[in-house]
Amino acid sequence: MTPTPAETCPDAGQWRAWLDDGPGRADARLARHASACAACQHTLEQVRENALFARESLQPLGPARPPTEAEIATARARLDDPAEPAAPVRLPAAASSRPAARFGQRWRAAAAGVAAAVALTGALLTPQGAALASQFLAQFRSEQLAVVEVSPQSQQAIQQTFQTLSNLGTVEHPQGMPTRGAAREASQASVSLQEASRRVGFQVTELAPGDVPAGLQPTPRISVFPGGTIRFRLDAAKARAYYQARGQNVNVPAKFDGAALVVNMPAAALLSYQSADPNSHQELVLGQAGEVTVGTEGNVSLDEMRAFLLDLPGLPADTVAQLKALKDWHTTLPIPVPVDKVQWQARGIETKGGKSYQGLLLNDNSGVGSAAIVQANGRIYGWAGSMKARDLLDVIKRTDVGSR
Amino acid sequence: VLDVADPPAPQTRPAPRFDASRFDALFRRFYPDLYGLAYRLLGNRGAAEDTLQETFVRLSRADALLERPDAEVGAWLRRVCLNLGANRLRDERRARERLTRAGRLDLAAAQSDLGAPASLLLRAEERAGVRRTLARLPARQRDCLLLRHSGYSYAEIADTLGVAIGSVGVLLARAEQAFRDHYQEDSSS
Repeated sequence: MTPTPAETCPDAGQWRAWLDDGPGRADARLARHASACAACQHTLEQVRENALFARESLQPLGPARPPTEAEIATARARLDDPAEPAAPVRLPAAASSRPAARFGQRWRAAAAGVAAAVALTGALLTPQGAALASQFLAQFRSEQLAVVEVSPQSQQAIQQTFQTLSNLGTVEHPQGMPTRGAAREASQASVSLQEASRRVGFQVTELAPGDVPAGLQPTPRISVFPGGTIRFRLDAAKARAYYQARGQNVNVPAKFDGAALVVNMPAAALLSYQSADPNSHQELVLGQAGEVTVGTEGNVSLDEMRAFLLDLPGLPADTVAQLKALKDWHTTLPIPVPVDKVQWQARGIETKGGKSYQGLLLNDNSGVGSAAIVQANGRIYGWAGSMKARDLLDVIKRTDVGSR
Repeated sequence: VLDVADPPAPQTRPAPRFDASRFDALFRRFYPDLYGLAYRLLGNRGAAEDTLQETFVRLSRADALLERPDAEVGAWLRRVCLNLGANRLRDERRARERLTRAGRLDLAAAQSDLGAPASLLLRAEERAGVRRTLARLPARQRDCLLLRHSGYSYAEIADTLGVAIGSVGVLLARAEQAFRDHYQEDSSS
């Protein structure tokens, strides 16, 4: 039996829908057609097999169970949570019932960064004693941001631990990575916007003259911090001898011998808008950089190197715990935040054109400075200035972070 | 005190209307199913929760949308959730690619879970394979597959993807065919 010539064969989509309709609601004409048309029987069989294959393949992707009532309530509460415990945030009363436009505790809990090595290498590059803005801006390196809270004690311990790296192997600064002094020197030289763009490898953005806060000169002084590569190459014998001499029992597997942690730091452009009044300390700095890449050379993976570095004696337990808690540590750069000096908040930060990006807002406890960092379009943008956070957010809303 | 308040709205602008009880009702109605959808797309609880958080934050800003019928809001939420999830996956993929290109990421080691039993690793690898295949599909096909196999009706899929309900069958059939072809291609390579 074959369909009549006037009867058009249904397409695969109709057969697919027919399969999902179930016997009770399925179109009887299609059933008749299927029983009569060999071509459609073939099509139907193929559609059925594909549907079954997809169902069986996708079924394991689902969660083991739906969220519980308590989990739903927690998720709902997190939307409302306007303040983080360590970063008191004052929101306007009118907005209190509207969910905050930022990630709350989860972001913050996960917000504990990248590999310790990256964090601490970043810390090594931070010019000591620089102004508040420079301290913030020196850390604009990553492709995803997270906070690692550090106390003065843990900062000191981290610094000391990493100063011992040279006792475990060699720390190489080839390919133009500047010393702190050289970096500071490089930051003194002023370049054009075009030259800065060339050096960092993308179009550096600047504020339109009308968008520069009142009291600041509309034309920025532009400088570039050169990037480069740092290698920490482990010498197993040297490391064992060092720890033995100190009476510490540290396992240094043989395969780590000669392995290196490699950190590629991008060049960063800094646009400094300064006060027209030479006696004023008012300043706004806009920093822009590419992303850090980190990896290893030798017989160890990045995971193994990270685990080894995190287990080094001397690192503060709370810092290690924060770093180990990271979910996406391969792509997340920890921003060490000294909680005794700086309050922080993870939140959505709006830029020009209404585009919002997840980032960090920081404020020094003296109330004279604030900073923000976002990752946008594969780059890191940072703003720091001698102004209140709300005024800084206004400036950011007028900054075009462009597109990828 | 860290003052992060947005600047006060100009006096001439009417105060935003935000219906908190309506928002709550929508959250409770749609969150569980959206969680399943986001989890299927992203593969882990944290990413799914973060994506849903951002999705509902956006809903909270869309005052006019809150006044629309549930079905319309649901379609909008699914669309936003899928878009945000896809963006997240894309960003993660690009990040991995950059690191891999630079020879800086040992993916095999990074993705392994040395402490897990072999059977769990196998299942995890199968799920990863399915997600890799999904990532190769055109966005609309991928979304259609995820929606259908998350249990959404043809009408809901049509509303979410902005297509006629009569087109869902053909979109789904093509998506399933493409999925099978790509999956088998990946498995044999």
